[in-house]
Amino acid sequence: MEKELQKLTINEGKGGNESNIELSSVISLRLLDLSDIDDFMVWASDDKVTRFCSFDSYTSKEDGINYIKNTVSRHPWYRAICVNNRPVGSISVTANSGNDKCRGELGYVLAADYWGKGIATKAVKMVANTIFDEWPHLERLEALAVVDNVGSQRVLEKAGFTREAVLRKYRILKGTTRDRVIFSLLSTDPRN
Amino acid sequence: MESDSSESYMKNGFVELSHISLRPLELSDIDDFMVWVSDPKVARFCPWESYTNKEDGINYIKTKVPQHPWFRAICVNNRPVGATSVRPNSGNDMCRAELGYVLASKYWGKGIATQAVKIVTKTIFDEWPHLERLEAVVDVENVASQRVLEKAGFKREGVLGKYFIMKGSTKDMVVFSLLSTDPKT
Repeated sequence: MEKELQKLTINEGKGGNESNIELSSVISLRLLDLSDIDDFMVWASDDKVTRFCSFDSYTSKEDGINYIKNTVSRHPWYRAICVNNRPVGSISVTANSGNDKCRGELGYVLAADYWGKGIATKAVKMVANTIFDEWPHLERLEALAVVDNVGSQRVLEKAGFTREAVLRKYRILKGTTRDRVIFSLLSTDPRN
Repeated sequence: MESDSSESYMKNGFVELSHISLRPLELSDIDDFMVWVSDPKVARFCPWESYTNKEDGINYIKTKVPQHPWFRAICVNNRPVGATSVRPNSGNDMCRAELGYVLASKYWGKGIATQAVKIVTKTIFDEWPHLERLEAVVDVENVASQRVLEKAGFKREGVLGKYFIMKGSTKDMVVFSLLSTDPKT
């Protein structure tokens, strides 16, 4: 399901690759399709991108296809982050059950060329504006950013999340345990 | 067997810490078990409602306790007065496990839960070498339980809003952790 947003003006004039970025671009979320495989591989195979991700960079298109076919299709909530309908990243919310079902965990990833333009922040805000309606039992949307991942922490702050704590040695990333900063947005929090 | 032999170890409200031990909970412990699980005061900050019949207690010991990866009765002079458990995780989360404990109200305020938690912290990291973080989440209103963790050397990390559903409503929870590398008190 496509959601069109107000036109987002993206700055030209940042050093680096500007060729695909127009003055007015539309950010949207939609389902990721097998036909998006080449765009998917752009961020999924980039070490800079996967540095703080739970997965290692993809090296074969076959693995990418399998991921879209088997994992994405079964995910409780997974969307491609699109600029002018081209996927440049993805965003997802995992659900819990039983006494934990009041909370869901948010995750997102964005191709490096699109960093620093407010796109991830926009995508997170879009999820925040819809997930509590889609999942009425959800009261808490949380995200856990590795302590070194300052860029992602700023995304959550700008999106209106509350920084709650540093959880020491919370999760294994690329073979070692790391501290994580936990953020949350409650269904009752103001949306910006 | 003395009746309620634990009484002799409670002089002036103090319990000899050496008389506190952890062991597996048996079906033969059912009567002691019912003392704390049927007490609403105890169940108040637990995710379960207080038990009203012995049948449910027997069922819990027979079917639920064996499913627990790590579950021990907290004993005073070998009589169960509560229980403690540790729940592991898998995959990238297997570095952490969650601690829980419950104690009969008659034994509150005597340092028993603190001592039981200390016993757990002294053994769990050896039993599970992959474990690096033992954590506990406590209802913000459950101040006594927060003090247990502080006294046992846990670090209070923060408050997680609307983190967990307890008796039908979401609660704010304080999260504590003890790392395998932290000093054990």
